[in-house]
Amino acid sequence: MHDLYAFVRGPLAWAAFGVFIGGSLYRLLHLLMLVHRKEKFIYSYMSWKYSLRSILHWMTPFAAVNMRMNRVLTVVTFAFHLGLILTPVLLLSHVLLWEESWGLSWWTLPDGVADVMTVIVIAGCGYFLVRRLAQPEVRYVTSASDYVILAIAAAPFVTGFLAYHQWFAYEILFILHILSGEIMLAAIPFTRLSHMLFAPFTRAYMGSEFGGVRHARDW
Amino acid sequence: MKRWALAPVLALASLWLWAPGFSQEDMTAVDASPFERPQRAPALFKHDAHNEKAGIDACNECHHVHRDGKKVEDESSEGERCADCHGRMTQGRVPSLTIAFHTNCKGCHLEQQKGPVMCGQCHVWRPIKAGAAAE
Repeated sequence: MHDLYAFVRGPLAWAAFGVFIGGSLYRLLHLLMLVHRKEKFIYSYMSWKYSLRSILHWMTPFAAVNMRMNRVLTVVTFAFHLGLILTPVLLLSHVLLWEESWGLSWWTLPDGVADVMTVIVIAGCGYFLVRRLAQPEVRYVTSASDYVILAIAAAPFVTGFLAYHQWFAYEILFILHILSGEIMLAAIPFTRLSHMLFAPFTRAYMGSEFGGVRHARDW
Repeated sequence: MKRWALAPVLALASLWLWAPGFSQEDMTAVDASPFERPQRAPALFKHDAHNEKAGIDACNECHHVHRDGKKVEDESSEGERCADCHGRMTQGRVPSLTIAFHTNCKGCHLEQQKGPVMCGQCHVWRPIKAGAAAE
């Protein structure tokens, strides 16, 4: 188990962060280059004001009409995304690893709060799964990869939850937890999880077009 | 009245029974009392059993003394509390108590490729089930 631990904690962690950071930079640069080559005309109406207005508008719960039409989905999606980002970044045991390896540390959540947020993320994954299966209009635009990325996002939280509570085979779950976290990091730039990188650009583009061309709010 | 004379003797005798509670022989976990709001169960650690198994004779293998960033080889600090030097936060080159414990235990386990290295192998919520991890 020591060899396995050293491997997932050492070389594999380097590889995962390398793919995540390198891949993300590549995807973002590629996007900007494509725009520059093929759609230069959007520069004529890209605006900081409408971009930031749109980003802020869509980051505010129930601000957009669509969010008010699907209230449950809005609550789930906000709670899910907050938990997904904040829990791993502010988790005590993760920050301790950063401090042990790099001497860096920052504020952490109490473990009890992190535990609740983890349950919310897992429940959110369940909700999204049922929604994809049950709602015809969602099912229509669903492909196999959507289920795969849902599993990729759920796995670190399920294994982390079980490992934290030391239920079932602790050592195996601990290794699987690190492994699934690394898979998720590496998958972000190259799957639809990349909306993490592209969302601000999508919103900026939409906001600018609605504001500058259609002279309308982006609902 | 005569039996009252025995009272001090009995009191002293009970001290003798009570004293081993303070020796490392019965130690089963690292002293977590310096932590105000510990988030995890105290790390399981049977002092004597561990050192016997690990073949550690020198106290300063763990109870070290550092001066100017270097370990002083012929000094040891087993009479002091770890928390006397290691505070809540890392200060300069003196790691926080948490990091000091982790480096001391896990650091050695990684070097030796023996002993627990994962969080829950030491910080066990239900120690009765998993007592073996402590040794």
